[in-house]
Order: sequence, then C-alpha cells, then structure tokens
Amino acid sequence: MNAIEVEHLRKEFKVHKSRSGLVGAFRDLWTRRYTLVRAVDDISFAVKQGEIVGYIGENGAGKSTTIKMLTGILTPTSGRIVVNGMNPHKEREKFVRTIGVVFGQRSQLWWDIAVQESFRLLKKVYRVSDEQYRRHMGEVIDMLEIGPLLDKPVRKLSLGQRMRCELAAALIHNPPLLFLDEPTIGLDVLVKLNIRQFLKQLNERYGTTILLTTHDMSDIEALCERVIMLDEGKIIYDGSLERLKERWGQGKRVAFTFAEAVTSAFLQQLTEGLEVVWKKGEQPNVWVSHVPSGGVPEVVSRVAARCALQDIRIHEVPTEEIVRNIYEEGAVRG
Amino acid sequence: MFYVSVFFQYMAQYMKTKLQYRTDLLIEWLSDLMAQAVNLVFLLVVFGHTTLLHGWSRDEILFIYGFFLVPYAVFGAFFNLWDFNERYIVQGEMDRVLTRPLNSLFQIVLERMELESLLGAVPGLIIMLYAGSRLSLSFHWYDVFVFILLVIGGALIYAGIFISLATISFFADARTSIMPMMYNISSYGRYPIDIYHRVIRYILTWVLPFAFVGVYPAAYFLDKKEWYSYAFFTPVVGMVCFTVSVMLWNAGVRRYRGTGS
Repeated sequence: MNAIEVEHLRKEFKVHKSRSGLVGAFRDLWTRRYTLVRAVDDISFAVKQGEIVGYIGENGAGKSTTIKMLTGILTPTSGRIVVNGMNPHKEREKFVRTIGVVFGQRSQLWWDIAVQESFRLLKKVYRVSDEQYRRHMGEVIDMLEIGPLLDKPVRKLSLGQRMRCELAAALIHNPPLLFLDEPTIGLDVLVKLNIRQFLKQLNERYGTTILLTTHDMSDIEALCERVIMLDEGKIIYDGSLERLKERWGQGKRVAFTFAEAVTSAFLQQLTEGLEVVWKKGEQPNVWVSHVPSGGVPEVVSRVAARCALQDIRIHEVPTEEIVRNIYEEGAVRG
Repeated sequence: MFYVSVFFQYMAQYMKTKLQYRTDLLIEWLSDLMAQAVNLVFLLVVFGHTTLLHGWSRDEILFIYGFFLVPYAVFGAFFNLWDFNERYIVQGEMDRVLTRPLNSLFQIVLERMELESLLGAVPGLIIMLYAGSRLSLSFHWYDVFVFILLVIGGALIYAGIFISLATISFFADARTSIMPMMYNISSYGRYPIDIYHRVIRYILTWVLPFAFVGVYPAAYFLDKKEWYSYAFFTPVVGMVCFTVSVMLWNAGVRRYRGTGS
C-alpha cells in the first residue's frame, strides 16, 4: 500500500502586484492587479509505506507548499491527494491523527513549560493511552537521549536539544507517516548525526514512512534512497540517489595549479576532443577541469606535457554540486 | 466530553505554570488588584457627582457597571484574540494549529487562556453588592442561576463579536485597527441604554449587541420590569452571536487553507 499518492497536483496563488511609487499605491486602492503564481505545477508521485524520501529543491521551488497540502493545511487547486488512505483536506481532525509533522523553524512545544508537560498535553490531544504512551515514548526518549531534558522548560534548551524534543513530540501518537520540513536546519554536526540515526532506527523499527525536505545534502545521503527534486513547481527528478549521482556525478574534477598564467582558450585547445570543461579556480593560476569518467589520465598527461605545474588535485563531484548543476540547467537530461 | 477533559487539562497546566513563577504571580495579582481598586475609586468619584441620569439613580448605574465587569472578565479570560493576526497569521502559528486533531478555534482559546482575568470579576461583584445593598434589592435563590446564565450570555456576545473581528485576518492581509475601536464601542453597553439617541440604541441592541452585556441583563436584577424581555433575551443573543462567529471562523479557515496567506 502507498502511504502517499499524488496525481496531477496543482496549487495556484493569487499574488497582489503592487505598483511603484505613491501614485501607484493610490491606484492600487482601486484596481488591484494580480498575478497567478503556480507554486506547485502538475506533480504526481507515490511514496510506498516504509520509504524515506528526500524532497529537495531551491527556496521557492514549491516544497513547503507541497508539504502543506500533504498535511492538510492547504487545499490544492486541483489534483488528487491520498495520504494514509484519506483525503487530507477532508476530515482534517481524523487525518492529522495519522501523521506527525515537524517544521524546523517552528516550535510544537510550549515555551514556558517543561518538555514532559508539553508531551502530556499532546498525549491528551492525540488521545494516546497511558499504556501506549509509556511503551512507545519510552523508546523514543531513549533513542533521542532526551531523558535528562524532560523536566526543563523549553526556553532553557539549546536548539539541538529542542529539535530532538520536537521530534519526540511529533511522534507521541506513533504516526505511520512523518513529515519533516528542514529538521536539521541550524544544527551542529553531532546533533545532525543523532537525528539521522534516530530517523533510521524509527524507520526500521516501526516502518515509519518519512518525507523530509532539506537543504543539507548530507542528510539526504545519509537517509534517503530516493529523492524527488522540484524546480519551479515541477518535479525534475524522481528516483534513487545512486542513479542521480551516476548520471550527473560521472567523471572527476581535476584542479591544476600552474606555475604561470594560462588562458582558458589555450587549455580548451589543449584538451580538444575530450569533452573537458574548464573553469577558473578561486586562487590565482588555478584552473579546474571537469573530466568525463576515464578521461583523467589523458587530460593530466596532456596538460603536464605542455605546462609547468605546481600541484594537481583530483576530486569526486560532491552531491551538493550535482544538485546545483541540475538546478542551473533546470531539468534532468535523459 | 473529550473537549471538556482537554479543556481541564490545559487549565490545570496553565495554573501549574503560573504557580511555578511565584514572585511573578504575586506581582501580577497585586498589580491587577491595584488597577481594579483604582478603577473602583475612579468610578465612585465620577458617579458621586451624578445623582440621576435619565431616571437612573447613581447606584443603579453603578450596579450596571458592576454587572458588566463579570461577563467581561469571563470573556477576557478565554478569548484573547486581539493579537490573533500577528501571532497566528503573520508568524504562521496557524499552520501548527491545523496539524492537530482539535477544532482550530478551540485550540486557540486554550492556548491563549488567561485565567487571571477572572479576577476582574471580583470588583464587579463588590460593586454589585455595594450598590445592591444601598438599593435594598431583594434576591431569590434562583437568581444565582439567572445570574450565571446572563453572564455566560454576555460573555458569548463579546466572544462572538471579537471572534468575527479576528476572522477578518483570514481575508485581509493588512492589519486592521478595528479591534481597539470595538473595545471603545463596547464600553457604551455599560451605561443605561435610554440615555442614547434612538439610532445608537438600535445599534447597541441589534447590530453590535453590547447592551446585552451590561444594561439589559442588569435591569433584571434592578427590577426594571420594562426591560425584562430584553434581559431574558440575553442568552439567546449570546448563542446567535457566537454561532454566527463560529460559522464565519470556519469560512475564514477554509479561505486560509485556500490561500495560505
């Protein structure tokens, strides 16, 4: 069974366009001009139960809008959504009992009261029995190592501590589906690792389906087998992270530090026929070449034969860059 | 039933939180009581100069004011919606509210509860006792229940009007200054209605029924038979006001979920 099914989903916003200047402001009083913005434009996908899916895209690509529609906060302009076998914007109260939501930049917890008091209120709101709470939350609290934090008020917690408590709060009713909107934003590496590990455990132990948005590619690499990439409201890639890397990350990056100044035309001519792209590096006399797989020895030997070199470094193309390249081109080729 | 138990749990939590900050609580109580005392003295001074206003004696006017304070305190304790736009729309807290399995308005009432406002009813009761004894009013045993009913009716009227106003935030993106204006208008309900012009009287009865929070119900206890029908109409007006506001609220939420603004 699919946890999430989305077909031809679309969300349009009417955005008021204000004219410039005082005169413009007066004219706005009478006639308003609106532009229709398609935040989400005809997307379809399905997420199987137990999957961890990374939902990525630049700011404004439509990620948050999609999450808001999937969690029932927004109603779609058109299209079909079935989440946990329900339509999120009908029967809202019944539906939200089957999902957990964490917005990284917004708190679920009450600011002044101890963490466990927040949990107790949420337990009541979600109608979780004492027995169920003790069994399930005991484990969650252990896994997240937040036991010692429970009697502290939220305002006294650090961001990392708070975030872990937020996660626990979203899981009080043991939902089969968890939405995370930038869960690791602003966190240090250790907390990030802890959270990732926890999410993995959660997924293995309870089969919790997780959909997360993030700007941190290392989150995706650590957690997701599948990524859905969004650009300007459209899905531009949906598939495994491996395949994405294979297709885009093929080849290596070779950085040459030359002993004296060279021109790009010269380098271009030097590596003719090898499909090498040259870019100027950040330091003086450094040039970076993007070389298709297997072409590295040939490029190095050609360059070394003609120029005096101080250094050569060879890198894999990092995921961050793959993703950036895809955004820049706007669509995945092939 | 479920909502009632959630309500009490929130209330217990609220009190627990308040009790944690002992000094804070003490200072708050003291300052609240002081403000109320100043209010009281001010009223006595002002009304000391008037003896008769359009057939209403000084003590009757005081009584109305005292009565008004009670539903107003109840309203203040549970319907803190004056910063709804800022808090829930601009800062986006509404999204969180919508991901929880409770009625959205009910959640906001719970979250914004301010039980100490109930203290404001104390001076109200004192004034009523004071004015009542000077007027040598007689009370029956069932008047307690009538009183409670009329107070609830009055509080619902206030709630209804201010919920409707908060609903504007769902439709207009700009902040409105209607709220403070409405607080001003609402104060007209505390004075004998027949001192006003016909139009104002009509408005305060049928459009913005603030008169049902002060004069009309108080008239019942003052044995003003000519106002009885209005007095007993208070709970009905309260229910109607509140129901309409909840319908408006739901329409607002629907709209919010359409635009997300």
